Amino acid sequence: MAEIELRKLSKSFDGAGAVTETSLCIRDGELFVLVGPSGCGKSTLLNLIVGLEQPSGGEILLDGQRIEGVDPKDRNMAMVFQSYALYPHMSVRENLAFPLKLAKLSRAEIEERVQRAARTLELSDLLGRKPAALSGGQRQRVAMGRALVREPRVFLLDEPLSNLDAKLRGQMRAEIARLQRRLGTTMVYVTHDQIEAMTLGDRIAVLRRGEVQQVGTPRELYERPANLFVAGFIGSPAMNFLPARLSADRLELPIGALRLPEGLRTARDRPEGSLVAGFRPEHLTTGEGEVPVVEAEVQLVEWLGADLFVHLEVPIEGFGECALPEDLGLSPSVDGRRRLVARLDPATPVREGDRLRLQLPPGCLQLFDPQSGKRLTP
Amino acid sequence: MRDRGGVLERLFWGAGSLLVLGYALVPVAWLVSLSLKRAADLGDGRFLPAAVSAENYVTVLRDPQFSASLVNSLGIAAIATALAVLLALLAAYAIVRLELPGRRLILAAALAIAMFPPVSIIGPLFNLWRGFGLYDSWAGLVLPYLTFSLPLALWSLSAFLREIPWDLEQAARVDGATPLQALWRVIVPLAAPGVVTAAILVFMFSWNDFLFASALTSTNQARTVPAAIAFFTGSSRFEQPTGSIAAASVVVTLPVILLVLVFQRRIVAGLTAGAVKG
Repeated sequence: MAEIELRKLSKSFDGAGAVTETSLCIRDGELFVLVGPSGCGKSTLLNLIVGLEQPSGGEILLDGQRIEGVDPKDRNMAMVFQSYALYPHMSVRENLAFPLKLAKLSRAEIEERVQRAARTLELSDLLGRKPAALSGGQRQRVAMGRALVREPRVFLLDEPLSNLDAKLRGQMRAEIARLQRRLGTTMVYVTHDQIEAMTLGDRIAVLRRGEVQQVGTPRELYERPANLFVAGFIGSPAMNFLPARLSADRLELPIGALRLPEGLRTARDRPEGSLVAGFRPEHLTTGEGEVPVVEAEVQLVEWLGADLFVHLEVPIEGFGECALPEDLGLSPSVDGRRRLVARLDPATPVREGDRLRLQLPPGCLQLFDPQSGKRLTP
Repeated sequence: MRDRGGVLERLFWGAGSLLVLGYALVPVAWLVSLSLKRAADLGDGRFLPAAVSAENYVTVLRDPQFSASLVNSLGIAAIATALAVLLALLAAYAIVRLELPGRRLILAAALAIAMFPPVSIIGPLFNLWRGFGLYDSWAGLVLPYLTFSLPLALWSLSAFLREIPWDLEQAARVDGATPLQALWRVIVPLAAPGVVTAAILVFMFSWNDFLFASALTSTNQARTVPAAIAFFTGSSRFEQPTGSIAAASVVVTLPVILLVLVFQRRIVAGLTAGAVKG
């Protein structure tokens, strides 16, 4: 049993990584992911939970008990560091045994637990080696093993896969997920990679500049992002954004006008003036249909076998600039044109320079307030 | 063309090394040669002794004054080294790891102490030590050695600790170690080359010191070897104690050479710090 609750937790810093009044509840047995761009405070949050940093304010509760004042060694949490932090002067066996020796377990018990962890992580043949003689993937597994042997109440993982190559990362990701399901131990996983977050997390908290933007399941974040930042951060390729405006009961887009979506029409405080409209690349489809229709020259085709990404540019004359959070790293409009990406059936015969007609089901549109960034569509 | 350049270059470096080696080692060789000569041959001006004899060594080692000073030297240098390394390690750890206010000031002040000419405090120290009853005692020498070698140890150790990834210590803390356990079981083993380097530097400083040893001691109680050698006398007042001095000098050089040879690799590693991989 380990449920972690953060209540208005704050940590102020001179540099990046500060955290402001964060409240979260990480449920028992859950794989909870903290995701956000670098400097958003996700690692700080993890260090606060494990006790390597002291909060400037707020409370941390473990199963209802406040633990801010508890020394990290007494919290019975295990952490995997981005650098793995293996002790270079100890063999793999000694690395795994280190936390157990500190816990003053009997020799036999230590040996048994080390063997068990080594079997689980396929390290049995490497027990005699020093970390310097291991590959990146093996080091990563030793770091996992050192966390595992303790049988801790909580696992904390700080970007554990970011030093591995793409293929190994995919493998280890699946392995970590399997391990967590089997052990059923609460796990908090920090990453900047939204794909890792989406594939691993039971629930995800998206952080930005020390503030939680949204907490939810991967599906909730993808389908109903709370604001422009989450919408642009989750999903690859990123969500497409276009400037839009409201007039009477019509929504005008650079690619055509349409009837105001149902939910928005009935909304009590209806926004006036300009908006930002967003839609996912997969919502653009080929075929003849109703407005709105994107008709543009194909700029770039990326064929990935299972996917086909087509880059288009549409003019946005008469509309203002699309105000997006600058830290998303999304390309701004160039010369009054915005770049869109469509994800099409890979069988579609498209080449660069072709003119393409794509339709966009109005129900797929999400509208955001350009000032606050909040989503307006329900 | 290329080959000749290579040969010339090798010749240049070879000759250069020989020159430096000779410059450094000829006096030592001379000392060894002197120490092996018979008393009658001491003034013969030959580089190689005409006849090898151990009589100087026998004289020196039989001399109770010398053996007492050897014990003093070893004891005082060992205590000063152990204390200096321990204190410097804890201080360097605090300076490097903790957000200590004024840690730059501490390092600068330490450096200032190292720059301070020891000779300028000898007079006051002599009077102070007589007042405190520290004159002619081990503690009376350990204290100044500690003072003047601590900055050295502090600087070399803090440079070394800075290279050790902080993650390792945090990992140890999360793994269940107290701060002291983390320092002792993770940081110190990794900083071992630095610790050994600092220890050797402090040991050599204490071992070689003549200034404090000659001014603050008067008897076999605490007189160290460098001071004892200076007080050597010949067997009669018409005889120069040259042979005994040479033999004694060779004897005191041996531990230092031994120390350096044993820890050579460590020292090199220590002087080229930064080889710690996370």
